[in-house]
Amino acid sequence: MYGRVTGVTVLGVGGHLVTVEAFVGRGLPALTFTGLPGAAVNDARDRIRPAVENSGLEWPLRRVVVNLAPGNLRKEGAGMDLPIAVSVLGATAQVPARALTGVAFSGELSLKGELLPTPGILSVAISAARAGIGTVVVPYANAMEAAQVDGLTVVAAGTLTEVAGFLKGTWEPPPVERLRPPATPATALDLAEMRGQHQARRALEVAAAGGHNLLMVGAPGAGKTMLARRLPTILPELSRDEALEVTQIHSVAGLLRGEGLLRQRPFRAPHHSVSIAGLLGGGAAVLRPGEVSLADHGVLFLDEFNEFRRDALEGLRQPLEDGRVVLTRAVGSVEFPARFTLVAAANPCPCGYDGDTRRRCMCRPDRIQSYRAKLSGPLLDRIDLRLRIPRLTKEELLGSQPGEASAVVGARVREARERQRARLARLGVTCNAHLPGPLARREARLDALAERLLERAVESMALSGRGFDRGLKVARTVADLEGAETVSETHLAEALSYRIGFGEQEGLERAG
Amino acid sequence: MRADAERDSGSQDVAPPGYPPDFGAGERERGALLSLSTLRGITPRKLHALAWRVGSAIGCVAAIRSGSAGSPADRDRIGAVEPAAVLAQLNACGGRILGPHDPGYPSAFADLLHDPPAWLYVRGGQLPDQPDRVAVVGARRCSALGREIAHDIGRRLGGIGIHVVSGGAFGIDAAAHRGALAGGGVTIGVLGSGVDVLYPRSSADLLLQIAGRGALISEYPPGQRAEPHHFPARNRLVVALSRAVVVVEGAGRSGSRISVDHALDLGRDVFAVPGPVTSPLSETPHEIIRDGATLIRGADDLLADLGYEQARADDAVAPAGLTDTELRVWRALATTSLSDGVARAAHVAIPEAVTILISLELRGLVRGVGGRYERTFAGVSGGIEA
Repeated sequence: MYGRVTGVTVLGVGGHLVTVEAFVGRGLPALTFTGLPGAAVNDARDRIRPAVENSGLEWPLRRVVVNLAPGNLRKEGAGMDLPIAVSVLGATAQVPARALTGVAFSGELSLKGELLPTPGILSVAISAARAGIGTVVVPYANAMEAAQVDGLTVVAAGTLTEVAGFLKGTWEPPPVERLRPPATPATALDLAEMRGQHQARRALEVAAAGGHNLLMVGAPGAGKTMLARRLPTILPELSRDEALEVTQIHSVAGLLRGEGLLRQRPFRAPHHSVSIAGLLGGGAAVLRPGEVSLADHGVLFLDEFNEFRRDALEGLRQPLEDGRVVLTRAVGSVEFPARFTLVAAANPCPCGYDGDTRRRCMCRPDRIQSYRAKLSGPLLDRIDLRLRIPRLTKEELLGSQPGEASAVVGARVREARERQRARLARLGVTCNAHLPGPLARREARLDALAERLLERAVESMALSGRGFDRGLKVARTVADLEGAETVSETHLAEALSYRIGFGEQEGLERAG
Repeated sequence: MRADAERDSGSQDVAPPGYPPDFGAGERERGALLSLSTLRGITPRKLHALAWRVGSAIGCVAAIRSGSAGSPADRDRIGAVEPAAVLAQLNACGGRILGPHDPGYPSAFADLLHDPPAWLYVRGGQLPDQPDRVAVVGARRCSALGREIAHDIGRRLGGIGIHVVSGGAFGIDAAAHRGALAGGGVTIGVLGSGVDVLYPRSSADLLLQIAGRGALISEYPPGQRAEPHHFPARNRLVVALSRAVVVVEGAGRSGSRISVDHALDLGRDVFAVPGPVTSPLSETPHEIIRDGATLIRGADDLLADLGYEQARADDAVAPAGLTDTELRVWRALATTSLSDGVARAAHVAIPEAVTILISLELRGLVRGVGGRYERTFAGVSGGIEA
């Protein structure tokens, strides 16, 4: 009385194949797990028997031992419910044993035997395909995810009865091509809706083109959030690999709503009260991806930047540097991708109106100083573009030229990215923002006039070493947007205009 | 030490100006002054009246100890205070105390008829008597433009040997002090705290420089922290020390307004630098200009009005040495402040406008503030300094 099926456990975003063996032997009726079951798997102990019995199938009134191999890997996730149940069905010959080879199962069961939407199905499908398994049986709700993987037959089942029927050859799964993903509302956002704010719109374009992180400082209502939300609309479309990675992370986090492949770049805007685990990933039993990973290949927008907990902001340094987060817990260490563009926004002072032309700032100078001190630090060094967003007057809004549409700007961004990719491939980076600082000077390729401007800027603007490198990288991106081989005076001047004269406040160094 | 609170209540005050002869002179009188300076309940005005009633500082101490003057808290305090300890604390920061008859006690304080300071803590150099001194005061929370103007006025005054007096605070005060130092001049900071308390902390360097090149003075004992009610009393000393008071920026009901009231009482000239009518920081200057203060456009006007220099022919509407395009951009800044607006007004492409704006900024003629561009005072006044 022995059955054996293949399941998949998901750790981080990676799926790991698990051989599920069931043995039904003499003894008091019981279900025992061996082979390092995690909390969620242990939790399934009392769920599986009712699910089987409510599916018109029989639960053996004998001692059942289920072993999960390999034994050194902790098995996590409710997706193990289905392979465990099927292994018992195999052991009791309720489904034919030969139907179980070459198939992987994943899905959470309800007490009634329904297959519930389960996180991480895309990761299940990817790892199954990689292991040469031809068929996956997954919940109906997650079928579109699994269908994204080439060379895999996807069986989308709604209940355990259907799964058993499929294995016996009495139930035909619906072809997945016919499964319609729920219509996702097309983003209504477009850069053209932004009135005025020419400099900020242009800075978004530069950020998108060079992969630069961006800091916006301005009064409430100046348009910082509105601008940030439009950054994804001018970023190049996700490549297939990027889209798979993004979908995988959202799948693991249980955030997919039946979509197959996410095609829009994520935009994540966690509130400043977010916990470290919420921002970077973590959790007690199961390690879940944090906001930095959910923003992978997209935009992480941190409004009220200096209200975030200091340790949470410190934790952003690793993902900003490496494009991934590594979470180490007692259960082991897990890695999540986290390559995002950071857009930070802050008020210039606690009340928000410092430097405003129409409203008076009521803050005490020392409060402003300590408020701004929180903005400094090593994290700020990783933000190439910084700008003040002025609150516009009605006349300025009405008098402004209508802005370009996202599609037009996006086309320039795409070309600029291509140029960088071609030029920087030999250095192992894809965009100017990721250029190592010491190389910025050489890679920027300044012409003679630009060199002279740079010298003058260093003399008179107290441009720090890091500020110097950042300015050059941004100037390089501006030149790439224009398709120019060398950085001209105009390109460099524009780059130098993206900085915040915090020297506006006495006793404070320029933050640019 | 509330000088202001009883401005109107002292009608039966008949004390003559100044202090009785021998008040504060000699070792024991000095000790009494140190003790008296630690009291919080008795105002300069009451102390002045008491001094004339009893004739000496020791007499004042005795009167307070007996309860015939001062508050109960003062009585407890005067019994507990150790003059030697106060003196030790004062010596530790290199300060000294002056009685009203000591050399170096500014004779200008005699103009404070009813509340001249009975002692003065000084940290720094000797205050030469009868120099020309001008006070520059204004908002702590000022604009970049205000700071530049105050700095320029301080620099020009300092450069021709006029001592610049101010309150050592943030903003306009600090800019005026810095300007005086930059111009190679002498500057005096009148503090609302003890001369050993460098407040605000971030201005500690500046305050030490002031002590090095001029002096920090205060009525408050060493170790005393600045408190809000000290500032009006402090302002009366700033004004009394100076022959003229210049107000650069101040919002309604500001400390500058109090200084101006003192100046009118003491017969000092009042000057004010105007600003945009829309700016809250222009409220005080505009109000006092309407009340009769002299409008000045900068250091040139001030120096001319004070009789130090001929007024400069006012022909510099734009800095010299600009190219045609630069001049167009410069002129555009008169009416607009955003880079795209400048480009439109100057009929140049936006990138070109940005290039010129940055180039002008590097030359100190233009400044980027809050995502906008504006002309600097140096640019407008024609004088460019590092």
